Amino acid sequence: MTSALLSIRNVEKHFNKYHAVDGISLDIRENEFFALLGPSGSGKTTLLRMLAGFETPTVGTILLDGKDVSRIPPNHRPINLMFQSYALFPHMTVAQNIAYGLEMEKLPRAEIKSRVEEMMEMVQLPHLAGRKPDQLSGGQRQRVALARSLAKRPRVLLLDEPLGALDKKLRGEMQLELKRIQHQFGITFIVVTHDQEEALVMADRIAILRDGKLLQHGTPLEIYEYPQTRFAADFIGVMNFFPARLVDGALRAADGSAFRATVPDTIGAGEEVLAAVRPERLHLGAGETENRLTGTVRAMAYHGLDLQVHLDTPLSPQPVMLRLTADAAEGHALSIGDTITAGWSARDTRVFAG
Amino acid sequence: MADRKPLYLMTPALVWLSLFMVIPCLLILALAFFRRGIYGGIEYDFTFENIALVFDPLYAGIFIKSAIIAGQAALIASVVGYAAAYAIAAMPKSRQPLLLFLAILPFWSNYLVRTYAWIVLLNREGLIVSVARALGYNQELPSLLYTETAVIVGLVYNYLPFVILACYAPLARMNAEITEASRDLGAGGWTTFRRITLPMTVPGIATGFVFVFVLSIGNFVTPALLGGGQFQMIGNLVYAQFLTANDWPFGAALSMALIAIMMGLLTLQTFATERASGGRVRDADG
Repeated sequence: MTSALLSIRNVEKHFNKYHAVDGISLDIRENEFFALLGPSGSGKTTLLRMLAGFETPTVGTILLDGKDVSRIPPNHRPINLMFQSYALFPHMTVAQNIAYGLEMEKLPRAEIKSRVEEMMEMVQLPHLAGRKPDQLSGGQRQRVALARSLAKRPRVLLLDEPLGALDKKLRGEMQLELKRIQHQFGITFIVVTHDQEEALVMADRIAILRDGKLLQHGTPLEIYEYPQTRFAADFIGVMNFFPARLVDGALRAADGSAFRATVPDTIGAGEEVLAAVRPERLHLGAGETENRLTGTVRAMAYHGLDLQVHLDTPLSPQPVMLRLTADAAEGHALSIGDTITAGWSARDTRVFAG
Repeated sequence: MADRKPLYLMTPALVWLSLFMVIPCLLILALAFFRRGIYGGIEYDFTFENIALVFDPLYAGIFIKSAIIAGQAALIASVVGYAAAYAIAAMPKSRQPLLLFLAILPFWSNYLVRTYAWIVLLNREGLIVSVARALGYNQELPSLLYTETAVIVGLVYNYLPFVILACYAPLARMNAEITEASRDLGAGGWTTFRRITLPMTVPGIATGFVFVFVLSIGNFVTPALLGGGQFQMIGNLVYAQFLTANDWPFGAALSMALIAIMMGLLTLQTFATERASGGRVRDADG
């Protein structure tokens, strides 16, 4: 608790009767790359705007270095925000955009000049200093926006859907680039995103938000492997769900067969539950795994790296997805309509309240 | 490429403008180079006399005076109109159309009627004087009507809606995140306005200013009614040449000078607006 740089304490934001943020508490550490992940309407952007100072919490406090900053206006917070639209000043050149925040601090001219140069070096755009924003590509604009908000060396940099406007390939490069820059500057990054893959790749820790509430937070591995709710399991990556019921301490599937899994204590006897497994944890053939299913191949999608197989099975109303590595796929020449058996182990099985 | 633009759709407008605008202007231009007949009328021998007379200190002085009055009116209208446009653009989106409608509502009534209304207001026994009396001010008030100030007030009043509309457009188009970004980078409200909002909306202000200036400098109704013949603006001078002095060639020369001033300003403003909006280079790489 004491090592938290930014402490969000029981924060709520009401817009009339609507609670956009509904009681969130989170501690964010120094030098952390933190992701606020959630679908639209989850309150992640409102939370970010409260951290930046554009909204004031209706309830609760936000502490920075132990000091309450909830009511400090944005221009007096050592926190900067990179806007989703980048919000570059169209009438200023790239260099003027980057210098703007430094001029507000009334830094000596020479220092502003050297810092602007340093920033443009960092985002690899020194040759574009004299350009106006509408003479830049989307990727270049994104870099300028990043340089502009980092130039002030904030304690915390907030990034609102930073890669949303970029194409897929550029997005992949920028994910790594952002991580490199964050590491180089040693500044805490808080990124808002609805893209779970982006959060998994970039963040040290992820918080999942839904309907203004915090569902779960943890490392990408914890979030991906041990989702605590059905929503989190479904939102992050792909998950196969099998309706089941807890009978005599064992999970019984719809067709009466048993699933082996560790059942959380919160689930009582007779309760309807969902057993779940990630597609990549399913293996072809029964093998030595505790759980298995039999189904017919309904569709196949080749993704280069893997082959995604959709199976119709009586165990689940939805088709079950398997991801076979290229090697595994070559070993079994599958075609649509084939009946196959797949297995998975008990320790890869998660159980959620139905 | 061969994507054919429907240029032919411009034909009616082009025909209309050439018939009723370009040709009359050329006729007036030609008129300026002929001599006035002894009893009015026109004698068709070529001369530069009328053109030279425009630069005579007497008439050049009226041009300068008109420009000063038009400039003052344009300046006041720009400041007042920008403030109003700023306030409208800051309102909730749903209310803006109504406010804009109210701002341009006076346009729907007759120009003359509105100007006469100002006479009623500014009159020696008019509303303003009556109110001052009622408030206990018993000394002789300075004359309000038939002054330069009255003319400027009338011009500002008449052309204010133009400025509001011209300034509203760029203000309403501004992305709210841009001013937020300025705040986020450490600027206060005033600095944000001065360094971000104002420069980004200068094209609108320039359009409004030039509009009011051009419409004011050639105006003859407002100076005649609210100035009461105390002084002349170019519009009145042109009017007098054509209708009372019967000196059409000189009137033509004056109007040509006026049109030249207007065209110059409008051209300047068009180029300035184009430059301010980024020049549209678009050679982004990468």
